[in-house]
Amino acid sequence: MTEAELRASGERRVFGVGQLVAAVRGLVEDAIGRVWVAGEVSNLRRAGSGHLYFTLKDDTAQVRAAFFRADVRRIPFELEDGLAVLVFAECSVYEARGDLQLLVRLVEPRGRGALQLAFEQLRARLEREGLFDVARKRPLPAFPRRIGVVTSPTGAAIRDVIEVTGRRFPATPLLIAPTRVQGEGAEDEIAAALDALTTPHLGVDVVLLVRGGGSIEDLQPFNTETVARAILRSPVPVVSGVGHETDVTIADLAADARAPTPSAAAAAALPDRAALGDRCARARDRLRRAALHGLERRVARLAQRREALARVAPRARLATQRARFEALSRALALGAATAAERERGRFEAAVGRLDLLSPLAVLGRGYAIVWKADPGTIVRRAAECAPGDRLRVRLGEGELAATVSEPDVHAPPRRA
Amino acid sequence: MDERSPSGTSPPSPDDLPFEAALARLEGIVATLEQGDLALEAALAAFEQGVRLSRRCAAQLDQAERRIEALVREGDGLAVRPFAGPEEGGS
Repeated sequence: MTEAELRASGERRVFGVGQLVAAVRGLVEDAIGRVWVAGEVSNLRRAGSGHLYFTLKDDTAQVRAAFFRADVRRIPFELEDGLAVLVFAECSVYEARGDLQLLVRLVEPRGRGALQLAFEQLRARLEREGLFDVARKRPLPAFPRRIGVVTSPTGAAIRDVIEVTGRRFPATPLLIAPTRVQGEGAEDEIAAALDALTTPHLGVDVVLLVRGGGSIEDLQPFNTETVARAILRSPVPVVSGVGHETDVTIADLAADARAPTPSAAAAAALPDRAALGDRCARARDRLRRAALHGLERRVARLAQRREALARVAPRARLATQRARFEALSRALALGAATAAERERGRFEAAVGRLDLLSPLAVLGRGYAIVWKADPGTIVRRAAECAPGDRLRVRLGEGELAATVSEPDVHAPPRRA
Repeated sequence: MDERSPSGTSPPSPDDLPFEAALARLEGIVATLEQGDLALEAALAAFEQGVRLSRRCAAQLDQAERRIEALVREGDGLAVRPFAGPEEGGS
């Protein structure tokens, strides 16, 4: 177009900028107004006020969006860059900047339910904090003294728990903290019930957190951070049994043990009475057998000792020693006798020789021994005697008293 | 029924022990007797204890009487009261 044609094409009205923008805004609000828009979140910014500002875009265009705090609180999930959403917004113009703007009132995720998304986001966040770590899980007491139950006081869950605990170990007392288990604000009641039940003086040493099946909306309180943190700060282990077998809730992930149903939770908390009865019976049998066996062993040992004692008793020993003694004595005597025999032989032999050599034996051959009676000396020479000397004569047998009658008649002449 | 015993006092008699403690003690006595090192008097005493403990365990297992209570709001606080049953109470 030429300049002249451009000038002729529009109406020659002069708007102020503000006027123009306001006019456009009016047109937009009238012609479009509230509308659902599908797009992707980007450039998300959270102001200090709590309002959210982002850009909603698709492949071809983008538009700014404002999401005020009061409306933000309605949604259970968090907006994130890249999230595919459906927004319900008032289409308008932000006059101060002349920008097209969506004033967002509602947001839904696309491709998933809002609650499902909220669950996934909370799960990821708490998992990153380490709150679901296996190392945090506490073991359940083998023989609980008192079981706490957080649940609705009506409904199937509490009935199931009462029945199952009654079958397994009826002696264990239950303490129920009744609470709402669905609806707005139920998570605060559940948390308060958990806190109240675990005050130490009540003596509860394990808690069952249970409710029956329901929709994801019904189970929503068990998917909140409030309930998760209440479970984690419990001083005693918590067993969760929420919903149906296929439901997994944040409470299940935070709990120390997780059961598919309320009945299973009750069973997990208690030992089986029947199995324990068997164990007691076996212990009793072992007790009896051990005692009996012990007695038998002692009796046998006693008999053994008695025998051993008998073997070493003094009387027996004495008899043994006496026998030994006698045997030795006999041997000795035998030995002595033999020796004595030998000695006697030698003796007699010696005596025999002695006899032969004895002067007295000579006498038997006719010789005599003559003594002078006074002094008693043996006379060898006749010259030693004078007539009238008294003599004793010893013969081979007997003795004589004699007197010298004559002097030595055969005395050789004395040599001068 | 299963109150915790006070610390610092003499050991509770077999007739007062909670199930878990009684069973543990019973199995301990059985193990000791099976080893066979006890003098005769000690063995007899242990056996007698074992029998009492086993009766205590059996009694607790056989106990069918239940104690089911609930925390209820009373005045400013909470009290423990017998549980009326799933039929009653609000949701």
